[in-house]
Amino acid sequence: MITITVNGKEIQIDKPMTVLEAAKKAGIKIPTLCHHELLESYGGCRLCVVEVERMPKLQNACTLLAADGMVIRTESEVISKVRSEMLELLLINHPLDCAYCDKAGECELQDLVNKYGPTVGRYKEEKRKVPESHTDPIFARHMGRCVVCTRCVRMCDTVQGASAISMIERGGRTRMEPFSSTSFNCEYCGNCLTVCPVGAILSRLYIHSYRPWQVDKEIKTICPYCGVGCSLFVQVRDNSIKRVIPKIGQGLNNGLLCSRGRFGYEFIESQERLKSPLVKEKGKFKQSTWNEAFHFVAGRLMEIRELHGGKAIAGIASPRCTNEDNYVFQKFMRMACRTNNIDSISRIGFAAAQKYIEDLLGQGVTSNIIDGLKNSDAILVIGGDPTAVNPILGLAIRAAARNGANVIVVGNAKGLVPIIRDKTLRIIHPVFREADVLELLLTNIFKTQDVRAEKPAIDKRIKELSEKPVKMDIKEMEKLVKILLGSNSISIVAGMELVQRVDGHRSLFAIAALTYLLEARLFLLSEKPNEQGLIDMGCLPDMLPGGRPINVGDFKHKFEAAWKESIPQDKGITLMEMIGAIRNKDIKALYIMGENPVFNLPNGHYIREALESLDFLVVQDIFLTETAELADVVLPALGWAEKDGTYTNLERRVQLLKRAIDSSSGIEDWKIISEISSIMGYEMDYSSAEKIMEEIAKVSPLYRDLTYKEIGAGDCLWPYHGEPLRGELNEVPVAVDITQDYKADFYLAIEKPLFHSGTLSRRASALRKICPEPTLKISPQHAGKLKLKEGDRVNISTAQGTISVPVSIDASITDNRVLLSNNFENKGVFNLLNFSLDKVTKAPGIEGCEVKIERK
Amino acid sequence: MTTKELVKKVFFIEILQGLALTLKHLFTPAVTRQYPTEKREPFPGSRGLHALVRDAETGREKCVGCGLCAAMCPSQCIHIYTSEGENHKKIVDRYEIDVLRCVFCAFCVEACPYGAVVLTGHYEYSDYNRDAFYYTKERLLENWDKYMSGEKGKEYFEKFWRPKSEDFGFPTVSRTGDIKNP
Repeated sequence: MITITVNGKEIQIDKPMTVLEAAKKAGIKIPTLCHHELLESYGGCRLCVVEVERMPKLQNACTLLAADGMVIRTESEVISKVRSEMLELLLINHPLDCAYCDKAGECELQDLVNKYGPTVGRYKEEKRKVPESHTDPIFARHMGRCVVCTRCVRMCDTVQGASAISMIERGGRTRMEPFSSTSFNCEYCGNCLTVCPVGAILSRLYIHSYRPWQVDKEIKTICPYCGVGCSLFVQVRDNSIKRVIPKIGQGLNNGLLCSRGRFGYEFIESQERLKSPLVKEKGKFKQSTWNEAFHFVAGRLMEIRELHGGKAIAGIASPRCTNEDNYVFQKFMRMACRTNNIDSISRIGFAAAQKYIEDLLGQGVTSNIIDGLKNSDAILVIGGDPTAVNPILGLAIRAAARNGANVIVVGNAKGLVPIIRDKTLRIIHPVFREADVLELLLTNIFKTQDVRAEKPAIDKRIKELSEKPVKMDIKEMEKLVKILLGSNSISIVAGMELVQRVDGHRSLFAIAALTYLLEARLFLLSEKPNEQGLIDMGCLPDMLPGGRPINVGDFKHKFEAAWKESIPQDKGITLMEMIGAIRNKDIKALYIMGENPVFNLPNGHYIREALESLDFLVVQDIFLTETAELADVVLPALGWAEKDGTYTNLERRVQLLKRAIDSSSGIEDWKIISEISSIMGYEMDYSSAEKIMEEIAKVSPLYRDLTYKEIGAGDCLWPYHGEPLRGELNEVPVAVDITQDYKADFYLAIEKPLFHSGTLSRRASALRKICPEPTLKISPQHAGKLKLKEGDRVNISTAQGTISVPVSIDASITDNRVLLSNNFENKGVFNLLNFSLDKVTKAPGIEGCEVKIERK
Repeated sequence: MTTKELVKKVFFIEILQGLALTLKHLFTPAVTRQYPTEKREPFPGSRGLHALVRDAETGREKCVGCGLCAAMCPSQCIHIYTSEGENHKKIVDRYEIDVLRCVFCAFCVEACPYGAVVLTGHYEYSDYNRDAFYYTKERLLENWDKYMSGEKGKEYFEKFWRPKSEDFGFPTVSRTGDIKNP
């Protein structure tokens, strides 16, 4: 225990820390400029100087480690004088254009000068002249204002790990510049914006449009983009979002954000938003009133229910909607439509993986704290790039690597390539053969380690696998096994590419078995904000809210008692099976809430044909999507910033989504559904989203006793007040092995880019400026073979169709796959891909899609 | 009762004194005015209707949209909306004062670093309509032209509304955005 005295106050600290941190702990504020909580100490600005007894000179509080018995004063005449002069020196070059500068009001230099600075400067020299830079689509740089604290560079290097910017020149001319010179070529996380203490780096999204004190309200809410669920502060003026900022100490992102979260909010005020309900008459949409639309939908659904029974109706829920929306949706499908045919787009990734792994290892096994990744010794990343799919989770992996963890990357996770310690930790395997790599790793580990004998079914399957090992030659395997067995704290991060294979369940089993053998923590990457919540709310064909299986009588009776109506007997069918059933005319009506299957499912033409053949299609969305265009009725819903509710992130943290702006056009999803349900004869009478959560808290064992008050206070991690359920499987479900060799020239695969995520992001103008169109990513070797240069336009064609896109050469691709994203209208990769179902997980296997590339 | 008091009472001295005062005022000029036919010139520096100063060089408002006046305004009657204009300069799209809410404290004038908003001496602006008291940027600039242009404005600035930037050695900013150090 170290005891120091600061300003006469005794402070006891139990671990080594700087005087600055110790003082902060005791609530004593020492002014800083170059120091930032998220960054390491730098000691550049000399504003945190303090007097220490028996030390002849003033000391920097930010670099001085507290030693036992130190007596420190943080304010005195001498200190004030030194601070004043330091500031005066900064003001030699810093322009006094506060009236113009957007930072004024939240400028740290302004505040410091106000407190300590001189009223008149004595230096009469001309201020340096550095031209402003407005060439970048997002960042405006006013480098004349830079005070060379280097926070931005340190943020970019050490926290974000992008290393895209640096200080250039020397002395009074020092300033920040991106390596790519005029415009930035970076991850556009905007974290440099957060840390800049002055107005040197500004966002062009809101430049000159408001001052920090002119906001009407600031609402804490959750990001609408991925499954990490970062906390955002939405600043609103005149019912319009001015900007979105993170805050230190708030939420799991702790002051960091990614490009989508920070700059992707503009879709909410898009002109393309739906304005009123649309009903199709003779092939054309006609505007209608809400009442007409409700009665029309209810009438048609009742007709189909009476004629063909509930089984002819199906529903697709949305991982973009809140828990409350999804809960009401599944209740509506089960109670009013009398069907269990409920599924969501998560079936092609997260939901399939989670269901399979939880069946093996028990509920909650995928719910681990993202922050814990930082303390891992070894991290195995496979099946996706965490820095693009879940950027803030990716940052935790980068932080772990900086702390000395061995990061093992299987495949091409582009954002992690720079941090891989040595080449052997990157496993390059034949295309679409992740399952083989994982099984090989599993059997190799099994050779040196006994089974844990806790789960007989898994043990049995591992033994089976090791009896006929996979034939694959991976040199690094021995080293990997050694690293993994030598690590105490192992994390496995699995992307959803794993699931989208014909033998996806093999990978999932291997992942689960590795988790079990190595006692690892498992993270599943989640692309949409509420995939976990959707599962917890029971938007699955075979599960009720809280993960209760539908075929267990006891659970069912409890729900029936709460809902006052019987639950349909049979299990429903999964998403891809629904499409088949629609084509077979078994399903006549489909109700889609907040989803765009025509665009977001593989083989778009096939899906489109199916939906066109429906008798009745209802789409509830905020835009007229490709799917909505096929609908008989389109109902405008509310977007992310316009409604209250809760999201559950991939670590099963329940978080509050709050209304920031009012919408004049839409209605909450749950309200639309409960109106229709009431007309159909199943009364639903909720006055607010909070009331729905009250009901969820009563019926769902996972969310038991959860209240908005508790959720709003933060850290509502499941199973908060809930109970973990453990299920045992007697037999691991496996399908017949299908191992195919892929020998064609090129295969088309899905790219998950950092800057886009589909329906929302393509309407966010800032993200479109960063990444205006899709590009075909190709490895340098193959581009060389085809004599393609960066930017050349090519036609890519598969059996499903042709798309023309420019080429972009990507050195992280190591095989004969070419990657295309699925984000832009008419240019989605899913339109070109075909699929065949994984028989166990029922997820579409998207592999081996041969593609022809021709120069245009 | 003394003799003096008695004399006062008998000869109505106090009443006569009062009458004398009344008589005196009969011959002095009247203090009331026949408003509105007869108008009073306001004292220099009196606080009347608001105006936005028009920059003689550019012909546009001097205001740069820093928002300090609105921040300082105790009755919160100033609304400013700015945006990015040509050459990435900040432009003031809307500058509006809800005059009916104004308490004429002139904090806005004091807060303005560039002397861009002033209170003119004009005080006659009654109307039949509330909307007429919601002054937009254009109307505020017109007020300047009407009531304060020329020598009068200059004099007001020198005597009463010297912008703070002069005290602190603020750099002067011209419309083109070039910053000149004092």
